[in-house]
Order: sequence, then C-alpha cells, then structure tokens
Amino acid sequence: MTGAWQTFKPTDTQPWDLRRVVHLHRSAGFAATWDQVQQDLRDGPDASVDRLLQGKSSAVMPAAKFEGLSQQLAEGAVVSDDPERLKAWWFFRMLFTPDPLGERLALMWHNHFATSNAKVMDLGAMHRQNEVFRKLGRARFGDLLHAMLHDAALLTWLDAPENRKNHGNENLGRELMEIFTIGVGNFTEDDVKQSARALTGLSALDGEFRYVPEWHDSSEKTILAQTQTFDADSLCDLLTKHPATSRRIAWRLCETFLGEGVVSDAQISELASGLHERELDIGWGVETVLRSQLFHSDANIGSHVIGPSQFLVGAARAMQMSDPPPGTLLLSDWSRRLGQDLLYPPNVGGWAEGSSWLTTRGVINRANFAVALVRGELNRAGTAPDLAAIAHRAGHGATTPDALLFFNELLLGGRLPQSRLDPIAKQAGDSPADGVALLLATPEAQLA
Amino acid sequence: MKTRREFLRNTGLIALTPLVPSFLEELAHAAPAQADPRILVIVELEGGNDGINTVVPFADPAYARSRPNLRLKPEEVLKIDQQVGFNPSMRPMADLLGAGRLAIVQGVGYPNPNRSHFESMRIWQTARLNPARDELGWIGSALDALPQHQARAGPDALYVGDAERPEALSASHAETAAITSIEDLQVRLPGPQADSLDATEQDTAGYVHRSVLRAYGTARDLSRDHTVKRAGNPPYPATKLGTQLEVVSQIIKSGAATRVYFVSQGSYDTHVAQLPRHESLLAELSSAIKAFMDDLRGSGLSERVLLMTFSEFGRRVAENGSLGTDHGAAAPVFLAGESVKPGLFGKTPGLSDLSDGDLRASIDFRRVYATLLRDWLKITPGEAIAAFEPMPLIK
Repeated sequence: MTGAWQTFKPTDTQPWDLRRVVHLHRSAGFAATWDQVQQDLRDGPDASVDRLLQGKSSAVMPAAKFEGLSQQLAEGAVVSDDPERLKAWWFFRMLFTPDPLGERLALMWHNHFATSNAKVMDLGAMHRQNEVFRKLGRARFGDLLHAMLHDAALLTWLDAPENRKNHGNENLGRELMEIFTIGVGNFTEDDVKQSARALTGLSALDGEFRYVPEWHDSSEKTILAQTQTFDADSLCDLLTKHPATSRRIAWRLCETFLGEGVVSDAQISELASGLHERELDIGWGVETVLRSQLFHSDANIGSHVIGPSQFLVGAARAMQMSDPPPGTLLLSDWSRRLGQDLLYPPNVGGWAEGSSWLTTRGVINRANFAVALVRGELNRAGTAPDLAAIAHRAGHGATTPDALLFFNELLLGGRLPQSRLDPIAKQAGDSPADGVALLLATPEAQLA
Repeated sequence: MKTRREFLRNTGLIALTPLVPSFLEELAHAAPAQADPRILVIVELEGGNDGINTVVPFADPAYARSRPNLRLKPEEVLKIDQQVGFNPSMRPMADLLGAGRLAIVQGVGYPNPNRSHFESMRIWQTARLNPARDELGWIGSALDALPQHQARAGPDALYVGDAERPEALSASHAETAAITSIEDLQVRLPGPQADSLDATEQDTAGYVHRSVLRAYGTARDLSRDHTVKRAGNPPYPATKLGTQLEVVSQIIKSGAATRVYFVSQGSYDTHVAQLPRHESLLAELSSAIKAFMDDLRGSGLSERVLLMTFSEFGRRVAENGSLGTDHGAAAPVFLAGESVKPGLFGKTPGLSDLSDGDLRASIDFRRVYATLLRDWLKITPGEAIAAFEPMPLIK
C-alpha cells in the first residue's frame, strides 16, 4: 500500500498527541476514559491500535464477567419478547465491552445488512444475526455474506421463504446485488431475476434457517454473463470475487472510519485492490485504515460526524459513568430520538450516516441528552457524574473554566480553542455541569 | 384572502392567550398584513405503491388475467368511472373526490423506469433521471430560488417523520429541517447557543456548524409549547401518518413561514401476501389525508394548502408467486385540497399494452412537479423541470 494507506508515524508536525488519541477512540470505538487516553499517549500509535484490534482497549469490566452478563441480558430480552430490552442489551455491550472496535463493526454490519425487526418480528432471530456481526465482523467478507444468506432474520426480511422455483420473488436477489455486494450500475434487471432463481430453496421457519430442496430451481442460469447451475453458494462466490464488491466494502470501511470528503476515489480503489488480493479480509481492511496516515491526518481529525450510539455511549464512557451506569433502556430511547432506532433501520439501505444525522431533531436531542446526562437523569438513582472528581483526579481544579479545559481535552481532544471555551464558561457561570452540557452540544462535539 | 392576523384570530390563538407561548402571541399581534403564501404538503409512499390495487382498473379484461389471486371484484371497488375505482379501504379518499377536493393523475412515471427502490426514489426526489452524487432535491432547489425571508419564522421546508431528511428537500441555501414531534423543538440547554460561531467554511466542519446553528434557529422559530396542540382540532387517526400530519397542521397553524412539508408512510414494498397489508396502508393513508383536509378546512386554511402523494414506482402488473407483487413502473399520483380541479387526469394505463411487464407511463412526473411549482407555489422551475408543460390541475 502506498501514500495515504501507509502506516502513520508521528512527526514533529503530526505528533502523537492527545488530539490523535481521542480521535482514535471516538472514531474506532466509543471514546475512552482519561486513564486509557494517558496510557495510549505513552505507548504510541502502534500499541494503541494493536489493543483496539485485539479487543483489549477497554477494561471497564473483566471480559468473562462481561460476556456472562451479556448472555443473561440477551436471553432475558428474547424470552420477554420486548424489543426495547434487546436494544438495551446492545447498549450494555457498547458501554462495557473490552472490544469497542468489535461493537463498532457490529454496528457497521447492522447498517450494511440492514434488517428490521418491524418485519422479522422475532427477537431470537435478530439476536442471532447480531452475534454473527460480532463473530464474523473481521472475517473474510465471503464468510459473512455466506452466513447472511443462511440467516433467518435476513431471509425473512427479504422474503426468501416466498422465493421458490417457478414462483420467483426478486427481493433478496435484488438487494443482494444492489446493497450487499456489487452495487448499482453493475447488474441488469435480468441478473436480478436469474439471481432470484439461484437463491430459491433458502428459507426460514420459526426463526431458524431452513433449506427446502424441492423449492430450489437447479437449472442453468446466466448471471453477470456467467452460465451455470447457480445456487446460493456459487452466487455468493461469484459476487464476492467481483471487483465491484471489493470497492463497496472499501467504501463502507471509509464511511465508517473516515470523515466526509477525506478519501479520494483513487484511494478507495487502492484499498479495494488490497482487499481483493486478500479475499476481502475485513480485518486487514480495518487494520489498514486504522493505522493509516490518512486516518491520523489533520484533514481527517474533526471531520467525521459520529453516529447516535457513538455520541451517547462515548459521552458516558469517557466520563466513567459505570457506578451507577446509565440506564441502557434510556440510552436506547435517546438513540431513537437522535435518529437511530437500533434493530429498526428505516429500510434495507440502512441509515445514511455522516452529516445526515444532524437534522433539527438530531441536533436538539443531542443537546438535550447532554443536559440529561449532567443532571443525572440517565439512571434511576438520579446520580449525576461527579465532574469535579473526574477533573480533580486528572489534576484539574473544580471551577467552571478549569473543568471546561479538562473536559475539552477528555471529550474533544482539546479541539475547542480558548476563544470558544470562554463564552461557554461565561454562559455556564458557576455550574461546571452546564458547561459540560454546552460543550457536548457544540458542533465540534458531533465530530470525531 | 385573509391576512395572517385574521387567520390567527380565526384559529383562536388570541382568545387562548393564557395557554399560548409568548412568541406565538407576539406573532398573533404583530403579524403584518400580507397575502398568505401557499403551502405544499408532500406525502411519500415509501416502498413502491401498487397503483393497480389503489386505483383499480376493474373493467380491463387483462386485470383479472394478470391478477388471478389479487384481483378485486368490480362490485368491491369504489367506482370512480366505468373503468376504474378506489380500493375499498379508501372510502375517505372517495369522499374527498365526491366533495371536489381530490385530483387523480393516472399513469405517472418516467422513461426507462428504474426498479431499484433507492435509485427510483432518488429520481423522484431530484427530478433527474441520472442524479449526481450530491444532487439537490427538486423542492430544495426550487426554494433556493425564492428570496430569503427577512424576519425568520421557520424553515423553508420541514420534514416530519422518524427517518432521515429526504433528498427532495436538499438545498444549497434554503433552510430545511427535520423533526419527529413538537417535543423535538424544545431545547433544554442552558442559555442561548453561541450565535457568533464562524460557520462559513465549506468543509464538513463548516457544514456541521451551519447544521447546528440552523437547528437552534428552527427550534427558536417554531413552536416552543404544544399547548396549542389540540386547540379545536378534529381528531386525527392514531396512526403514524395521522400523527405526522397533525404535527404539520400544528406548525401551519402557528403561522410558520414554511412553504413545503414532507411526510412519509411506509412500507409499500408488498412482495408477499399483499392484500391485507396493502389495504391497511391505503386505509391509513386515506383517513389521515381526510382528517388533515377537514382540520384545515375547519381552520380556514384549506385554500392555502395542497397535498400531493407519490411513490418511487408502481408494481408489476402480473402478481408474483407469493400473493404479492414485485417492483414495477407507472402509478397514480393524488392531489388533495380545496384548490385542485377534481377528477381523473391522464390516460388510464392499459394492462395489455406493457413494457417489460410493466405499465407504460403516460404522464411524466416532472409535469406534475412543473404544475405544483408554477401554478401552485408560483416558483419558476429550474432546468430539471422547466421544460415540462404544467397540467391543468389547479383551479
């Protein structure tokens, strides 16, 4: 890999500083505590990215305890048949995971294979799909795609059970090509019809995958100018090897980790070629992006609008709100108000990401969330984060201007200049909490 | 035409002073006498509405052949003429037509129909057959052509719903906003937001600064209190679309300067077991539109407001193997309001004269847009629409 994709090495003009560490965690995960930031500052970019990639960048809760609790919560949610509880389970994972990057990738795949429980109406199936995003989120894309073509939630969502020999239903065939792999402009209407035939036999029953041989159309099909007796596996193979799929995955990674307008077409193509050569190894792609000069460049820092869950969970994690933690049902409801109702994407195209989050509704609710957070409205006990204590532990005083200096560093990597902090301090008066709410409501706080 | 002040008086705002937020009260007393600008409300039917099961061509012999399981019997449909009739779940729409408040434009589409939801939706939203990546919306670019209002009283266009702001409202400098409910406008942040931000840069950061400032501006300009919410309103159906149209009505009644509202109803992507699902969608659509129209009429606003429905495409003429229909092409567009010329417009598409299994469009959707811009909103269309001849749809 060349130029922009080469590994970032700090220089005098582009030092490994607080700004870069905070950006790394806000972009690739859900922000970091002051202690984690300090550790990464000392250890340098290679070790910091290593920890993220290995799923060891956060230690809010021991891994074994975390997974045990997570499993209990998921099972309880599925048994209760209450979708709010399954959404809350995901927020629990985002808050306490030792592997924030893994959760960020699960979110990315939830957006890529956007499946809504509005139609699936089966929390067990939605949960199983979600676990696949975690298990195969860094695998080869072909493995993930293959798993999705055998996933009850996705198949139900796209009407696969109704797509049978001599009674085609094009829904899955179309979205497989348009959204999941090669993208618009790379296939014809006839390719859609023939792909639908190849996918016959895939079905779901009672929330479980089921293959029905007698529904499968085993005759020859011509798809993308190749003629053979295509089935789901060989179609999956054909699409995975198509260069347009590598490009789409490269684009998805850039959308997830880089700001808008930061990456050029040529750079996406280069990343796509690298993915193509490595059988679409997603883990390689993620690592390449997160280590790259482009990712750590001045042009990229502060140019990526973070999504609702990153904004919400990031604020809570950075402020070490773990005792008591914010109510996960509340976080999930805030996420809906910010425009992202998890497990209920608007359609198979998913959420548009980036600056489209910042509607009137999105902006006002981000500000109102910040107010709720500093006033202790996120947990039943009404416990507000002890801002003075957090600032004090980091060696800062408790006055509003002092606290703002510190939280500007912790939350924004110090990106707000003093000229912006002064009016906020004035407005907040003697309430550091109000100051932090105002800080979180700034345009800069919406950007990683 | 009533003046805005008369309108506010008539809607009872002044009488309700103790309950009304101060800014609405100020508006009621201080609103200048001026011609009331016209308002367009767009209802998107997301997912591809089956026009054939909406305005049913019951007399076409090919109808029964193409829809052996899905067809409705002639005695079931609510007849419009000897050829077509409404789906039986659309009684409120039939009532609107009977009252002279509904126009139906048949066979609306565009050349070389695209059967991708996303691509076809972008075509409808941008009025361009090959939209560029960051194309402006057809409404957004039309609003860009208007002079900027001096005293702000709300954004130029407002999306009400829980999805993302539609591309139709994407503009270069006209202000467009998106909310889900009136509560989304209630800012709890201490103190005013810093208005002194330098928000002129053209990069993402600049865009984000402007978005944030606009959001606070919108919240300040629109209602800060929802005590006006139920004031004299007839009931709306307790559906998502009904609720969205009720929010639109509240904001119109508050005297906002917003010219275009956009709401959305999903999901019309009826690949499977279509009949019951589609019927309930059409019932939700019809009853919400009827309630909205009746509410506006009761408030003396119905002459100022025109509503249009559209969907990204119709559905294939032949039913599929799962009692549903796949993606198709042309479909009807509805226009509702006191100011429309009522009745059927455009040729009823023939079900035996198909193109690639789909209905042929006889009316280009951009002609409908040209009509709405030129004859309703009185805005000269930009080049994407200018070449299309308006239709005689407005009184």
